[in-house]
Amino acid sequence: MHHSFEVDGVDHELWLSSSQQGYRLHLRDQVITPVAFTHRSDSSGILTIAGESEPVRFAIEGELIHLHIRGRTRILRYNDPLRACASGNNETHALVARAPMPGFVVAITVSPGQSVSAGMALMMIESMKLETIIRSPQDGIVDRIHVKEGESFEHDAVLVTLSKEGR
Amino acid sequence: MHKLPFDTVLIANRGEIAVRIIKTLHKLGLRSAIAYHEVDAGSPAVSMADLTIPISGRTPIASYLDIAQIIAAAHKANAGALHPGYGMLSESAEFARAVIKAGIAFIGPAPETIELMGDKIRARNFVQGNGFPVAPCAIEEDDPATFVSRARAIGVPLLVKPSGGGGGKGMRIVRDLATLEAAIEQASSEARRYFGDGRLYVERYIESPRHIEVQVLGDSFGNLVHLFERECSVQRRFQKIIEETPSPALSPELRTRICETAVGIARAANYQNAGTVEFVFSGGEFYFLEMNTRLQVEHPVTEMITGVDLIAEQVYAAAGRELALSQSDIVSNGHAIELRLCAEAPERGYVPTTGKVLLLEYPDGVRIDSGIMQGQHITPAFDPMLAKIIVHSPSRIEAALKAHRAVRELVLLGCETNASLLARILCDEAFLGGQFHTGYLEENPHLAAGTFSAGMSAFLASAALLTRPVREAADAVPELHAALGSWRN
Repeated sequence: MHHSFEVDGVDHELWLSSSQQGYRLHLRDQVITPVAFTHRSDSSGILTIAGESEPVRFAIEGELIHLHIRGRTRILRYNDPLRACASGNNETHALVARAPMPGFVVAITVSPGQSVSAGMALMMIESMKLETIIRSPQDGIVDRIHVKEGESFEHDAVLVTLSKEGR
Repeated sequence: MHKLPFDTVLIANRGEIAVRIIKTLHKLGLRSAIAYHEVDAGSPAVSMADLTIPISGRTPIASYLDIAQIIAAAHKANAGALHPGYGMLSESAEFARAVIKAGIAFIGPAPETIELMGDKIRARNFVQGNGFPVAPCAIEEDDPATFVSRARAIGVPLLVKPSGGGGGKGMRIVRDLATLEAAIEQASSEARRYFGDGRLYVERYIESPRHIEVQVLGDSFGNLVHLFERECSVQRRFQKIIEETPSPALSPELRTRICETAVGIARAANYQNAGTVEFVFSGGEFYFLEMNTRLQVEHPVTEMITGVDLIAEQVYAAAGRELALSQSDIVSNGHAIELRLCAEAPERGYVPTTGKVLLLEYPDGVRIDSGIMQGQHITPAFDPMLAKIIVHSPSRIEAALKAHRAVRELVLLGCETNASLLARILCDEAFLGGQFHTGYLEENPHLAAGTFSAGMSAFLASAALLTRPVREAADAVPELHAALGSWRN
């Protein structure tokens, strides 16, 4: 059974199999034996990999695994096969304006039901002291505004959903 | 020592600098009060302060810039003095005046000094008029009719800049005098568009410059000392990320000259309190750039090599005490480096990052000035700087090694940071050799880009072993089948 972890936008396929002393790690181009993880606390442990011991600090946040190993920090996203299926089949035609960066809503210039044309200003956001205008990606009708003035949002958050005219 | 004329100080700031100020206030036996926006309710500064006064506004940053609310908070706390920190309202003469008018001591220089140094052209003319070096320059409004010929007389390369602007907008480099007039026209139209003010000035463009600044300290008795220089040339987008002292670029003679020049400029301005004179340095020459009339982010490196608590000195100066230090008391000892840990991804063009701090472990044996704690949310509302790592060692190379070890030992999970960029700079040959200038990171994009694949298998192994469905799948398959397994199934 294959599993997949995304790191910096790249998917890495792998699987584990059991071996006499722990597990075997099957990567696309190599097999590493043995690998094992010993928990030291709820945020630290020792990874044994091909005879070497590496102290690991970790934090798990849903499908995100935050790791610190040998002075480097990486975030790995576990691509849950069930979840991946669900979103893959659920291609909708809703148009959305997403946040290009994390920020705060300064002012919203449209309201639900209003028809907008491509490039029209939907809202003004502020991020790291810079103000940016969020514009409509296409012609349509404002279906839903997902944030309020003064509210904060993360990178890639859906700010406004639009529907096609006459749907 | 006489008792200080106030017992409570309001901090009009947040993050690591608020924590830093509270530490000194407590050391001096003073009460600390902080005005804070609700997004900072879970921050270390708010939990450490003796008194906390909530403020609000359209955005978090707007509340920290609301002069009337800050002064009302100071009254509410019964504060006799106010420390503005850096950024925020620290360089607003209007704010300093309002604080003083409210009967509260402003921990900083006089409002007139803030005003003088806050206007680039006025500050430059003041410094030049007092006989100190400034980059050769022609100012349009001195005599618009002769502006082009005066600019031509300086010689190339030239930098055309808007008088009323900042942030690099509307600036142009001219390397051929034939293109000067066209560049002036374009810059003027850009300046009108960006700043509503088309006035320009032209100055000699300094190639591959270093940014070197000098810490000064003055009191109301006319005493003025310097606390040596800081080298601040490692920058991204005009913002410093690594600072150190002493500067590897200065000979003892140049060090004396640049420090004495800074004291001369501060003395001419009758400077009281802590301040920093910034210079552009290239090819053994230096020119006045600007004066910052406040404490700097990078003040800790100076504290490490001199042993002077700059915030305590600021408080004493604002309390009207005479400076207890003379120039000969201030000795530079060893080498200090500061790293700015920022919530940003250098690998993706330094975009700001956010998240909840899930795990935070600071290294031992170094100074950490931190504004965050575990469990806190890093929001995009403020400057991305989270904490500073400051090391002090007998020599520069030992300091660089110690800083490298510290930044690799620091664990911050939950929000991406620039830690690996800092680690890469600290073992880069040019940095270790002291050979860098303000364009260093742009000229070496590989430092920000990093290497994506190195050591990936340890991360994948840990992630696999920490993910239950991956482990369970392995446990469900008997060993023999697993041994026969291949990518085909």
